[in-house]
Amino acid sequence: MSQQNPLTLITPIIPEKIGQLYKLLSDMKYKLEKGQHELFEKSNNIHYLRWLIIDDKNSVFFEGTTLPPKLVFSSNFDGSIEHHLKDLCGDMEHLLIDEIYSCCIDYPKEGNRNLKTRTDYLKQWMIKASAFYRGSPGRSLMQIRQEQDLRMFLRQQLDTKNWDGLTANQIHKQLKKEVKQTGPRFEWLKDTYKMPKMNWFKFVLLVLVLLLLLPVIIIWILIVEFGYERKDEYFTKTRSQLDPRKIKVLEEYEDLTSGEDLNQINSNGNIVKDKQINYQNQFSQLVEMKPGKVRLITFKAMMLFAKTLIPIKFVDGELMGIPTIHFARWVLFDDNKRVLFFSNFDGSWQQYLGDFIDQSGWGLTGIFSNTKVFPKTRFLLTGGAYDEEHFLAWSRSTELSTQIWYSAYPSLSIKNVNNNSQIRVMFSKYLNNKKAQKLFELI
Amino acid sequence: MDTIELEDVQGYIIRAYGNMQFSRFSLLKVNDPVAAKTWINSISNQLTNASIVPKDQLPDTCLNIAFAPAGLNTLGLSQTNINTFSPPFKEGMTTEHRRSLLGDIDSSSPEKWIWGGLNNEPVHLVLLTFGKDENTCLEYYNTLKTGFESHGLEVQKNLDGLSLKDNKEHFGFRDGIAQPNIKGSGRIGPEHNTVNPGEFILGYKNNYKVYPDSPTILEPQGNLNLLAPNPARPGQKDLGKNGSYLIIRQMQQDVEGFWNFMNDCTADKNGTLNQAESVKLASKMVGRWPSGAPLSKFPDKDPGGVSNENDFLYAKDDPKGLKCPFGSHLRRMNPRDNFEMDTPKKSLLLSNRHRLIRRARLYGDPIIGSPTNNKPKGEVGLYFNCFSADISRQFEFLQYTWSNYPKIKQLYSDPDPIIGVVENPEKGQEQQFTLQGDPINKTVKNLKRFVTIRGGAYFFFPSITTIRYICSL
Repeated sequence: MSQQNPLTLITPIIPEKIGQLYKLLSDMKYKLEKGQHELFEKSNNIHYLRWLIIDDKNSVFFEGTTLPPKLVFSSNFDGSIEHHLKDLCGDMEHLLIDEIYSCCIDYPKEGNRNLKTRTDYLKQWMIKASAFYRGSPGRSLMQIRQEQDLRMFLRQQLDTKNWDGLTANQIHKQLKKEVKQTGPRFEWLKDTYKMPKMNWFKFVLLVLVLLLLLPVIIIWILIVEFGYERKDEYFTKTRSQLDPRKIKVLEEYEDLTSGEDLNQINSNGNIVKDKQINYQNQFSQLVEMKPGKVRLITFKAMMLFAKTLIPIKFVDGELMGIPTIHFARWVLFDDNKRVLFFSNFDGSWQQYLGDFIDQSGWGLTGIFSNTKVFPKTRFLLTGGAYDEEHFLAWSRSTELSTQIWYSAYPSLSIKNVNNNSQIRVMFSKYLNNKKAQKLFELI
Repeated sequence: MDTIELEDVQGYIIRAYGNMQFSRFSLLKVNDPVAAKTWINSISNQLTNASIVPKDQLPDTCLNIAFAPAGLNTLGLSQTNINTFSPPFKEGMTTEHRRSLLGDIDSSSPEKWIWGGLNNEPVHLVLLTFGKDENTCLEYYNTLKTGFESHGLEVQKNLDGLSLKDNKEHFGFRDGIAQPNIKGSGRIGPEHNTVNPGEFILGYKNNYKVYPDSPTILEPQGNLNLLAPNPARPGQKDLGKNGSYLIIRQMQQDVEGFWNFMNDCTADKNGTLNQAESVKLASKMVGRWPSGAPLSKFPDKDPGGVSNENDFLYAKDDPKGLKCPFGSHLRRMNPRDNFEMDTPKKSLLLSNRHRLIRRARLYGDPIIGSPTNNKPKGEVGLYFNCFSADISRQFEFLQYTWSNYPKIKQLYSDPDPIIGVVENPEKGQEQQFTLQGDPINKTVKNLKRFVTIRGGAYFFFPSITTIRYICSL
């Protein structure tokens, strides 16, 4: 079964019902924060999901827009789209889907709602991701949870028993016995699992293809540089010049921790938050393409490049050296005029955006310099994201607020997820002492 | 390469004022802006700058000044111009977002602070007076103070700080050893520990080779001829040039709790105190021994004496954290050449994008803690003072990403054991310290919080020229 797939839906909202929709999403957000996740837990295959409203002229993020408002849904799930839609529209959850999507244009009327009409409706608003990244490719939600359980069990054994005088190899053997004694809890360990590896053959092939194409690429970059980049309007604001109203909304979301006790409400009606910020966060970004075929072709070529390279090379939890991304996707939509970027990441905004500059500035620049008002770029891949202050300000200024965000494992970093898989793989094997030592470095 | 205009930079950024045993930071409220400006202008020629002073000519006193947004506003800087300051400074340390980012919750909540908090008067400005000893400092302060009342300045609170023998802090560890060296400051140090001036001083390029976000004059006012042009915003004057941001946090230290925890964790089977093990565990958490000697160089025991050892790296000497644990305070606050999974060269590049210049001063009973000497009289702690040109990328990043966030390296639930532990963890939230070991890692569970934030604020630490400009408003 194919694991970890993306789904994106962009649905037009009935303008008169937008207030109702906000209220609905906000109520649900509060429920999620209170720890009521059952709805999304039920099918046991949803890693992340989010809903956000775009093009609402009354929101600070879209002041002055003439576009009609739309609801965007994005999820990362295991299995086929067909199944995922069925889960969403199935017996348990159709009420929620009905409530939300009856605020959208052309949703089936009340007497005509069933599994088929609902899924058919959602399907027609589906938009394909232009490129997609997984931080732990191939692992189902179930596997991620099982492997965390194993790691916790092993850690607990190491913490509570006396292992003095034993070698790594002996400890490993003893732990294997302990695991066996737990009965069915770790029966899944019988299924062997292999960590995804970089595909060197395809990688070399890709490099060769790029080398062959090099003359074309160089000429193309020169065309972009001299025909376009030098005339482009570029982003010159710094963080201090951003709209504080937007920042406030964006920061507020980062502060909310799922499971927060909302009973504490102060006299102003605000929630009293006495919590650290989420260990995981989400990023939603919307940008407009620069006009013209050259930009569109460049963007699509970059997407094709990303799409090809990611499954060949970035399979071990790092996207171009960034070790904190669970999932990321780019979605070109609106008749190729706009791009949505979504990611689920570990840590704070400053850390995440800093990682982008530190680790993969050129890749981001190659993609986003084709969108309007990006920090000044030279030769497609330089400048841009490396212009730290302007890039940070640009990222914040193009970020959107998300109405609902759900993570199935908010306390696990992507490094934890991959480390757990590594533990599982090594633990199941027969290990000599040296390898057993390696295993215990991970636990 | 940029040469820093040292004579225009207030000294405390670059000079540690090592011979100043006593300091008084006075939080002053401006009641009469016109008179206050006259006074500030009159002392501006006494402000200590960052020039290099030969050891035998060190002064007996030093003086610097810094401003909070409310102070700038009261002195007449327009709101439009204040809005050009970096967001953390203008929003302040106590916004909901910052509280959760910095971990200022529970007993450290700004609602409970004694200054700078949500239930205190807004902070206007802080006058930093230093003396080679208490008498010298207070004498100098008193001469300055004679001008306060007549110039509409009111003392809100005095934060008196001292330095203890061998520069130890109250838990008993030698502090303030590792400071980044600033290129162009006339001071030299190892290359791996050297950063571009723009990491700390506005108006110069930072480690990304771009100009940091520097406040500017958007709405003309005052004597603009004093100010240099802003290199990043053509046509505008640079208010920030040669200035920086000063962060002050009052950190109460629970010395008794700290050593009780270490003693309990390491007691022999029959419950008797094992001093050597207790000190060792505490040192593993700190990353240096009480003498200041780094664990990565001296893994087994404290060489004793006083150590200034700072020329060390991790990738070669301690790649697996067997000597200095990955989760130790020292290794988190400056991972040096062992940043996450990056190569040593890249690690250094990245580590140096998140440095601070720290200027801690102690307060309270001058106790130097140990397993057996840990009952101070009254409240003790330190004023954690530090400088950064980008509060968000430096100070806040260190406090959240490297301290409160429990997942650096391959760790799962390890906050910084000294400054990152949550006082009241959520149900099921584990807080531990992992000691990397061979053949297995060991963990110290149920960490406790030993510091409480009692006050704090972000200040603008302007150049001497900008101080004169402010007085011209």
